[in-house]
Amino acid sequence: MKGFKVLSRPEAKVGILGWGAYIPRQRLKASEIAGLWGFEHSITKALWIEEKAVAAADEDAVTMGWYAARSAIVRAGINPQDIGAVFVGTESKPYAVKPSATIIADALNVSYKKLSTDMEFACRAGSEGLRIATALVASGTIKYGLAIGSDTAQANPGDVLELTAASGAAAYVVGPAEESVARFEGMVTYITDTPDFWRRDCSHYPLHGEGFTGDPAYFHHIMTSVKMLMEELGLKPEDFDYAVFHQPNGKFPLRVGKKLGFPKEKILPGIVTPWIGNTYNASALLGLAKVLDSAKPGQRILVAPFGSGAGSDAISIIVTDRVLEVREKAPKVEELIARKKYISYAQYARSRHIIRRIV
Amino acid sequence: MQVSKAFISAACMTKIGRHFKLGIKNLIHEVTACMEEKTGSRPDYLIVASALSALQTHQLDIASITTQYLGWNNIPSMRVETGETSGIAALELAQYIVRSGAASKVLVIGVEKMTEYPSNKVNADYAKILDYDTEYVRNITPPNYAALVMKEYMRKYGVTRDDVAEWPVRMHANAVSNPYAQLRFPVSKEGVRNAMVISEPITLLDAFPIGDGAAAVLVTDESARGKDAVEVVAITSASAPSLYLRDDMTELPATKAAWASLRRKLEAQRLDEVALQVHDSYSIYGILALETLGVSDRGKACSIIPSLEYLNVGGGLKARGHPIGATGLYQVAETYELMIEGFAGKQYSGEYALIHSMSGPDYNARLALLRRW
Amino acid sequence: MKHSIPIFWRNRESHYRIKITKCNACGKPAYFGRDRCPYCGSRNVTIIESEGKGILVNFTISYYRREGDEEHLPRIIGLIRLDEGIMVPGEIVDIDPSEVKEGIRVEAVLRRYSSDDPYGLIYYGLKFIPILKK
Repeated sequence: MKGFKVLSRPEAKVGILGWGAYIPRQRLKASEIAGLWGFEHSITKALWIEEKAVAAADEDAVTMGWYAARSAIVRAGINPQDIGAVFVGTESKPYAVKPSATIIADALNVSYKKLSTDMEFACRAGSEGLRIATALVASGTIKYGLAIGSDTAQANPGDVLELTAASGAAAYVVGPAEESVARFEGMVTYITDTPDFWRRDCSHYPLHGEGFTGDPAYFHHIMTSVKMLMEELGLKPEDFDYAVFHQPNGKFPLRVGKKLGFPKEKILPGIVTPWIGNTYNASALLGLAKVLDSAKPGQRILVAPFGSGAGSDAISIIVTDRVLEVREKAPKVEELIARKKYISYAQYARSRHIIRRIV
Repeated sequence: MQVSKAFISAACMTKIGRHFKLGIKNLIHEVTACMEEKTGSRPDYLIVASALSALQTHQLDIASITTQYLGWNNIPSMRVETGETSGIAALELAQYIVRSGAASKVLVIGVEKMTEYPSNKVNADYAKILDYDTEYVRNITPPNYAALVMKEYMRKYGVTRDDVAEWPVRMHANAVSNPYAQLRFPVSKEGVRNAMVISEPITLLDAFPIGDGAAAVLVTDESARGKDAVEVVAITSASAPSLYLRDDMTELPATKAAWASLRRKLEAQRLDEVALQVHDSYSIYGILALETLGVSDRGKACSIIPSLEYLNVGGGLKARGHPIGATGLYQVAETYELMIEGFAGKQYSGEYALIHSMSGPDYNARLALLRRW
Repeated sequence: MKHSIPIFWRNRESHYRIKITKCNACGKPAYFGRDRCPYCGSRNVTIIESEGKGILVNFTISYYRREGDEEHLPRIIGLIRLDEGIMVPGEIVDIDPSEVKEGIRVEAVLRRYSSDDPYGLIYYGLKFIPILKK
């Protein structure tokens, strides 16, 4: 498959300086959703989904993205005034028009002199933001960039996606590789026009092609981008210590990883969905954050986000010594997963504003 | 320097309640008609106290609109708003006007409509007595502050929830004999404890009811003094910082400051024998007012409530009601009636009466000292 | 439109971060960014920023209902003494009313204060959660 071939590796000058995560406290059991809508109970096993994180009524993509970004900045140890770009990848923007990024940026005291925008590409806009911020650093346009993936994922009530659609955020500060906790070895992106999942302008909920979201979309794009990356870098699955994939449920990342030749042991550490659901733009990025919470210096991580519409990034990252210095400075993904309170479907419906009311 | 005197020469009240058939003009008409029956002549000046009229009835300049409605052409008028103390502030202004010689008879009307909208809008409007930027938009409301104060007080002095319930029990008992009161049924401590929680530990029976009402007094100089007159000796007022800026939340700093200016005028009077009206928007505030005024020692007010014979004779804000801008005038009208001929089944022969009003957690306080003439 | 644009926008820094007004005349610090000292009235003030961590010293569980409160009640409203020594009033979230008690350590996080639904502005500001990282 021919795609755009990156001739030089500008991203090799760039790395992750800090990572941050946020998972809301509320949890709704998938079995309760399945039971309410008449799904046969074993569906939760088939998808490997146990429970999902649900943002509170006063949370949204902005507030969650803020928390993750703050943790990333704390770990990076930089002055937010030195951040030159803030990108928020989300498909649950509180405003259809009015950027979330500017709210987060002002709230974190980021310099006014900056590039900033919200971006949409289903679940991979956060990753696109990561690539663009990296390119801006590599080109010398900015010193540090902040890329956030944050969503309060929507799903049509009663649709199978409701079992997994969840809330969460992840954020990355990128900058010079010399200052990084994990440097980029290579990044590729593979994108086609593939309408597997979409949400029309005035629709509260997305529609999707069910089976079509699998082979033609998720599997094809991830496998293509990962193979493209490995070919360009001359790497094989054995060269990676971790493989983190976009994870709409617990099973897909294991399946695509297996197809690519990665053993289960390398994929499991980056899996979060069974316990927090599919956080859309934060999905793969939270998996990466979880790996960074425990990876050893020198280890190589593959991360392959995917977004419907459709496209996949494949990124190779090598952990540096500096990761040990900053790891403890912010909450870890496992700590956030462990912080939980179970709620009912009714409370979920109230929290996510899906009960029809006069406001 | 000889300062001219100011008197209350007449007073009228309407029953407080949910008067869906009566708008703000109708309430004003009722209380003014009563005044006209009592006094016969037209005042030289009209002051209207209303805290919520701009928000609830969409009326600015309620005072001029009132003169238009009453057919009182060319009468000068002014609206006064100082949050929950608007009524006493209006009285404060009226007595300055007559003392200055600018007018001889000032009619002060306190009026409030609180039932033009469902309670969640009234609650929102009322909460604007707090600072909009630092408190309101941050979801802090007046009953929250009262609850924090009550908890701090209970912890500091070892006072229990049931001790505080002495207050509403007494207030409701008083209101049974007040024909103008909104809530005229007795309550028990158990009832207070078990009532719906507003902001714990404050329950519905610790808090004022929402109601409409109008009360009026005629403030005059010596020349227009009626035969049933009570002297307005002095009114003092003060403001105070936000609650979270205070070192001691169980003290009322504005009340304390206003009291410091006024207490000399009471000479050697024993406050526990003086007819007293204190601002009990929430039980805890009535209790703190007694302590700040020195009627009781700190932490002890609950236990002396039964012994204060002339405390909030009409039932206080708790049971008589609290149509915000009108409340101060209800306090004054009740006290005036008490001194002239008795009120709510009580006769009072003492020389002085003291009225305390405050807004929110004592963001401003006003004290009016009245004396039998 | 219930939410004004400029009223919130001009104060947004004080809502997005804990701003303290430090008085150079009387020395007392006070919550919220101001042009003058709320204690002594001096205009000689410096604005500093708090880390946003502190101890919950008092709280109440509130059912008081204003328009727009429906999805958010009961609220926990409390007083927090920041590590810098200043008292801040605020909302406490991410904790059950039955679990909240005085003395817990809290940190300030960005949340929605209120939203002028369905078409108006969302006001964002700091509320307090039990601290996630010691």
